[in-house]
Amino acid sequence: MSPSAPVRFRLNGQPAEAPCEAPTILLDLLREQLRLTGTKRGCDLGTCGCCTVLVDGRPTLSCLTLARLVDGHEVTTIEGVSPAQGLSPVQRAFVELGATQCGFCTPGFIVTATALLRDHPHPTRAEIERAVSGNLCRCTGYRKIVDAIETAARGGT
Amino acid sequence: MHLDAFELHRPTSVDATVRLAGELAGRFDFLAGGTDLLPNYKMHLNLKPHLIALEDVGELHGHAGDRIGAMCRLADLEADAAFLDRYPPLADAVREVATPLVRASGTVGGNLLVETRCFFFNQSYFWRASLGFCLKADGDQCHVVPQKERCYATFSGDLAPALMALDAEVEIAGPSGRRRHPVGALYDTAGDGIQRVTLRPGELVVAVHLPPGAAHQRGRYKKLRVRPSYDFPELGVAVAGVWDDGRVSELRLAVGGVDPHPRRFDDLTDALVDHAPSEERVRALGEEVARRVRPVHNTFLQADYRRRMVAVYVRRALAEAREPVAA
Repeated sequence: MSPSAPVRFRLNGQPAEAPCEAPTILLDLLREQLRLTGTKRGCDLGTCGCCTVLVDGRPTLSCLTLARLVDGHEVTTIEGVSPAQGLSPVQRAFVELGATQCGFCTPGFIVTATALLRDHPHPTRAEIERAVSGNLCRCTGYRKIVDAIETAARGGT
Repeated sequence: MHLDAFELHRPTSVDATVRLAGELAGRFDFLAGGTDLLPNYKMHLNLKPHLIALEDVGELHGHAGDRIGAMCRLADLEADAAFLDRYPPLADAVREVATPLVRASGTVGGNLLVETRCFFFNQSYFWRASLGFCLKADGDQCHVVPQKERCYATFSGDLAPALMALDAEVEIAGPSGRRRHPVGALYDTAGDGIQRVTLRPGELVVAVHLPPGAAHQRGRYKKLRVRPSYDFPELGVAVAGVWDDGRVSELRLAVGGVDPHPRRFDDLTDALVDHAPSEERVRALGEEVARRVRPVHNTFLQADYRRRMVAVYVRRALAEAREPVAA
């Protein structure tokens, strides 16, 4: 009923292709087939935001996206957010302010925050809190995460 | 969680979608943003062997003038404050749907047709198998109101009450052409609660149309939920109307989150027209709406609490709507 068909898309700036069945979820394609395990599987139901990637620049829950539907589109994962050398400004702020504890939710927060700062380079604290309200962290209490995004928006520590 | 096998269809026009929906009648679901359907599919709730993805149907996308396409993403509406702020209840509702990440994919049509929700339905297959399946999926017994005829799952969309208060219409395409009717007529109020919409076989929602008079009406949508950043409504109250020198010349009120379908209360709001809505009249209105709704204990909050909050939210929505709209 569900034969495999190639999905072709751009992944972190490079062409990518992988065979996918209709029910394959983007998160599984990224983690299981393409071995990009920076994108995390949290709730798997769209509640926690751990699996956030950018599809055509838009923050997207990869656990609720059929892989076939990214055919022809541009996908950016946490691996693609990092520059070739070093860390992105958001990543550096997370490290310098200690905005992680267990780290499991961090990729999702960084991808969401990266899109926020791209579209709104100078967000208020309330705008940051609202933008990451779909990303759950069970460790930090969020304060340092919001501090880090605020710091990245200001250009660093 | 993996999805069971299905065949994915990607039509590129409304006509092709209608043809396909006719051919697959009863054996498919439409896939819009996927934020409601795919979690339900992961929990093995009422799986179909075919999915018709609406992503590639260009006519369904975008918003302009008084028309919002069914596939318009909630985040795209949210980003267009100039458009949204013309319709305050809709603006409130759009900004309160789930999380920014859900709104990035979730669509207007998907929110109108969101599956009704219940403790005993929105659970994993294992959970449901352990307890015994329910009338809405795989079983024949309602666990909330034990009987075998009617499902009491709660309508949990935010946009419908707001659009109903604004007197919006849905445009529907089907085998016999296009038709338009009020948003409230989408919902089957006389059925068994499982057949919950009035769409006929092969039909799909194409767009929402806001009436010219809706722009800049005063109004609010007030939403009760446990976690303000995420949850479905435990109650949603929308009001829209026109106030002339403190007197109401037009008023509509719609409520969601407490019954199997969103409801309007025109007989009650019509009685307020041509009056200055005194505190006493507003309190009486809220109490009568609260008396008429029929919440059951199938969501997080107790049914009695949700009912009592109806009166409170009606008062709050009207009080906030009466304040002048910010320029």
